[in-house]
Order: sequence, then C-alpha cells, then structure tokens
Amino acid sequence: MKLSIYSLKKVLFQGQAQMLNCQTVMGEITILDNHETFIGVLKPGVAKVVDSAQKEHFFEITSGFLEVREGNEVRCIVEV
Amino acid sequence: MENTQHLKKRLKSVANINKITKAMELVAATKMRRSQEIALASRPYALTALDLLANLTLIEKSTKFPMPELLQQRKIKRVLFVLISSDKGLAGSFNSAVFKKFEQHMERDKEKYRQEEKFFVAVGEKAFQYLSKKGIAVLRKFVQAGDYTTAEQVKPLTDFIVKGYLKTSAPGGASWDRVVIFSTHFRSALKQEPHVRKALPIQFDHLLETIKEITPSTGKFADIIKEQNITFGGEIKDIKEYLIEPSPEAVLEDLAKHLLFMQMYHLILEANASEHSARRMAMKTASDNASDLSETLNLQYNKSRQSAITKEIIEITAGSEALS
Repeated sequence: MKLSIYSLKKVLFQGQAQMLNCQTVMGEITILDNHETFIGVLKPGVAKVVDSAQKEHFFEITSGFLEVREGNEVRCIVEV
Repeated sequence: MENTQHLKKRLKSVANINKITKAMELVAATKMRRSQEIALASRPYALTALDLLANLTLIEKSTKFPMPELLQQRKIKRVLFVLISSDKGLAGSFNSAVFKKFEQHMERDKEKYRQEEKFFVAVGEKAFQYLSKKGIAVLRKFVQAGDYTTAEQVKPLTDFIVKGYLKTSAPGGASWDRVVIFSTHFRSALKQEPHVRKALPIQFDHLLETIKEITPSTGKFADIIKEQNITFGGEIKDIKEYLIEPSPEAVLEDLAKHLLFMQMYHLILEANASEHSARRMAMKTASDNASDLSETLNLQYNKSRQSAITKEIIEITAGSEALS
C-alpha cells in the first residue's frame, strides 16, 4: 500500500509499506494491504511502519488523524 | 567648506553604518530563506488535512449529522481582531503596512461594526505598541515569537481564540462570533502585501486560499507548486462507505480545530518570512544610501584637505617672498 505520514515540520514517511500499526482513540489498529476505507483519530503512542523492504520505522506521535483511502492508499497527519 | 576633522568623523560613522546594515541584510536574507523552507515543509500536511475535511463534509451531507460549531455560521454580535506584526523594528514598511490596512478596514466597515462589540489581540510587540498608542484596549498579546514561529508558540494563541469562540472560557470572559486577522502575505522576496482574513467561522475557500498561498508566486520556491484538486460539496454519490472512529462528529470537530491551528501557524510563518524579506530590503536600501553618502563625503573631505594644503603653501610662498 502507498503510505504517507506528514507532520507540520516535515514528511516523516512516504512510499510503499506493508504494514502500519498505531494507537487510535478507540484502540490499537494495524493496517495491512487493501484495508477498507477508514478515518480515525490518533492518540499519543508510537506508530510502527514496515516498508516494502521489510525494514521497520518507528515514529512517536502525540495526536493526529489517519485516513485509509480507496485504491490502497493511507495518509496520516500527525503532531510529533 | 566644512571642517576637515569634522568631515573625517562623519565619514567614519557612515562607513560603520554601511557595514552594519550590510551585515543585517545578509542575516535577514538567510532567515527569509529558512522561514520559507519551513512554510513549504508543512504544505503536504496542510493539503492532506484539507482533503480530509472535504471528505468528511461530504459524508456529513449524506448522513445529516450536525456540523461542529467552528464550521457553523451564526449571527455576529462580537468580533475579534488579530493583528500580526513583528517584535522588532528596522523592517521598512512591514508593520505600518499592516496597521494601515487595519485602519482602512475599520474605516470602511465603520457602519457595520458599530453594532458589534470589538476585541483586539496583538501578535508581536509592534502591534501591541500600535494599539496601545491608539488607546485601544488589547485583550491579550502574544510576543517573543522569535525568527521562526513554532507549533508550540502558536498553540496558546489558537487555544485562546477557540475558547473565546466556543464560549468555554471563564464565565463572563470575552467571547466572539467572528475572528478577523490582519497579516502580511508573502508574494515574493520583493513584494509583500497586507491581507485581511476571516479565520472563524471556518470557510473552506478561505482555508484553501491560505494553503495555496504557502508557495510564493515567484522566486526560488515558485516552481514547486503542484496543484491538487480539492473540491468541496461535490457529488454525494462518489463518496464511498467510510468507517469512522470514534464518530464523524468527533473527528470533524477535532479536525476543525486542527485546521484553524494550521491556518494560524501558516499566517504567522508567512508574516515571519515577510518580516525578514522586508528587513532585507530596508537594510539593502540603507546600505546603498550609506555607500552613496560616503562617496560624496569622501569627495568633500578630499577637497577640503586639498584646499587646506593649498592655503598653507600660499602662506609659505607669500612669507618667503616678503622676506626676500
């Protein structure tokens, strides 16, 4: 899936990813390929991304939004 | 002809001014570039947030849940004015342009505002000084933003505005139904314009405009513009089933606050960039003037020195002639 994570200061992640795991106000969520469309509010925690080269990335998040769009595209806007 | 000694002194001080203003010009130029970069870095974030808002409002249309208060139009009884200026001077007409725009706006809408209660907030030391000098009570001032504002510094301002708008501040405290912001729009390194914007209630076209303006119309960063198509109030049928957690209302309310924050952040960043480029221009003019002045003074000094020497020689030759 195509994943982009933006913060106010910079682009944290952009590119192909296999998995995104983060904390939302309703609980922990893991997004894999072809997830259904979804909008959620993020809460403080650590987001984990596994990119297409199996490499893991971690981002600290204080708040933000998560949107899973049609066409296997995921976008996050976060406050770090 | 002026005293040679005196001229020499003046020449020295003009040369010093030239050096100082030149240094300030270079510093301001670097700061301007940096603040532009910071503004541009948040562009993807801003566009995504706006896109999300567009999507949510479409869903809202199809499900008919109530809009959050920040997005609703209501009857205007009280207005909050926010003036964004710099903390420091020596920036040419940067601050006075904003104040002039403010005066024009107040003059034009005098009739309209007569019925309404007015509140004022100053961002930057200069705006506070200006308002106090005019005898206008300033509700609160936000200063010490530094050369580039940070998200942490904008937060108190946004919280203050939102609280007043939603009337959640202490009972009897000030509240308002509309927020008008006076700030400077950075068109290019050479051109900045004062702008008036309505920040609350949130309107999509206003937001979109602000975000588009993040990229200056000309100059180094102008070619980065990549237009994204964001449309509001489009066809309901092209909206797909979204799973929204915790609820559309909660998300929309949160997002609305976020967008306001983002807008304020951008306005202040833009004002920062404008301040630096205005200062750069002012300093450039000053150092140009100083070098012109030092040229003329130098000529005057040489002439006066030469005439003093001539006078001395005449005296000597006259003396020796008298002796022989």
